Amino acid sequence: MTADEYLREVLDSQALGDDSDEVKVLQKHRAAVEKVICDNFKDTALTIRYAGSKAKGTMNKESYDLDIISYVCAGDNTAGETLEDIYTNHKQALAMKYYVEPKGSSLRLKGCNPEDLGVDFHIDVVPGRFTDETKTDAYLYQSGGDKKRLKTNLDLHLDHVRHSGVIDAIRLSKLWRVRNGLPVRTFVLELAVIKLLTDKKKKSLSAQMKHFWTELRDNSANLTVEDPANPNGNDLTKCLDDNLKSQLAAAAKHALEQIDSAGWEAVFGKTAQQEKAARVEILRRASAVATPSRPWLPRV
Amino acid sequence: MTWQRDDPVLYEKEKAEVEVHFPELRFVVENDLVYVRGSFAVMFEGQVLDRYSVELQLPRNHPTGLPVVRETGGRIPRRDDRHINTVDGTACALLPDERWRLWPPGSPLLKFFNGPLHSFFLAQTMVEEGEPWPFGQWAHGAKGIFQFYRELLKTSDLRVMTNYLAYLAAKKVKGHWPCPCRSGNKLRECHFDQIKELRDNISRKDAERSLARLKAAGASAIEMTEAKPPAPITQS
Repeated sequence: MTADEYLREVLDSQALGDDSDEVKVLQKHRAAVEKVICDNFKDTALTIRYAGSKAKGTMNKESYDLDIISYVCAGDNTAGETLEDIYTNHKQALAMKYYVEPKGSSLRLKGCNPEDLGVDFHIDVVPGRFTDETKTDAYLYQSGGDKKRLKTNLDLHLDHVRHSGVIDAIRLSKLWRVRNGLPVRTFVLELAVIKLLTDKKKKSLSAQMKHFWTELRDNSANLTVEDPANPNGNDLTKCLDDNLKSQLAAAAKHALEQIDSAGWEAVFGKTAQQEKAARVEILRRASAVATPSRPWLPRV
Repeated sequence: MTWQRDDPVLYEKEKAEVEVHFPELRFVVENDLVYVRGSFAVMFEGQVLDRYSVELQLPRNHPTGLPVVRETGGRIPRRDDRHINTVDGTACALLPDERWRLWPPGSPLLKFFNGPLHSFFLAQTMVEEGEPWPFGQWAHGAKGIFQFYRELLKTSDLRVMTNYLAYLAAKKVKGHWPCPCRSGNKLRECHFDQIKELRDNISRKDAERSLARLKAAGASAIEMTEAKPPAPITQS
């Protein structure tokens, strides 16, 4: 198996189709969350849309999420006068049914009932307000940092990733992040991959990943990323500080060394197919020496 | 009859042996019945291949009778094709008539765990992985009994089979009786040694039960058995 065939299997094993249990659960929760929001803001003409890794096509089994965007119209104060009010009111509404974890501009939803206490539903609700009648740009409240207002554009974000031409590399880099516990935000990682692979779209996936890691290892100090929806207003330098850059560089160096010394499997592990084949093999070996007893059933 | 009180030494021995080899299983006595409960590890070469939550109810006549096995984790579907009784959830790890091959009466209970029980759950794991039953499987009910005796006696003649079973179920057999193979010879001149050996291995109770089930099923036991019958019986 070539490196690219292996990486393809890794991605296939991480794929989440619409009929997967995870996506079905996500869809069930999505409907429930939307109902909670609509019931609590009956007088507000909300625009509810979906984003996150599912919308971007970068979903992995090991790390997936759904962003539920809940924007009010420009000038509409029914859901709250300020951005902070809108954010807080959404939080309070959702807290009636979920454990809500504030996360920058979004609200992470977890279970709060005895049967699902603390279960992460992989759903972030992002409250905000459109900047004008065109309903394109929006302002989000930022719970942390000095600047409390962030201008953004959902469609630009989605398009930037969806049309990047390096979706597979983004998915692998997300998997690499999860498996190495790297504290880099998804959006920042996506922007970094897109930027570093701008001229490498036609390269093989393995070549792209090697290039990505080589750049991180050798040039991370110079790496900057810009929000395509707000390149001047949304300062992402804090999301990619020197400490994080050195962590990324060290992990990238380690990945490259692993590939050189033990191959790609050392980085991403065995694929589901490989694991299954190995498991079946050991089960067969075990059965070859086991007591050959055949099961029966007394009932006809 | 409560075997654990009648023979406390055996109880302690069985308990110690099983709990040493399977530290996550516990012996519990409830209403004078001995249960073994906990997590059963399917082991191979020191590696845990899988685990099943189990409950074994040892019969009052242990070690003569067979334990009743249940998978309590709800992992194995209660379906006939998984050899789990849909009515009471009991697992059918083996055909009682075949016990002498797998866990002969009087053997330590540990041998049951390492033998038929291990094989049953190993097979369940393999089936779960999409593999065929590694040791094959008996058909359900009378069909399975027919298959077993067809292999054992190398005949698919139901009359011969029931003749044999009648001799295995009888309190005594006499050498001047007709041979069950229907050769017309006396037993002592024909299959006497085979009958003696089978009577040593298969309990009268199991033979009696199987005979009754085969008689009740009649020809349907043969008709419903899809496998090609083996060669006719030859004199041993």
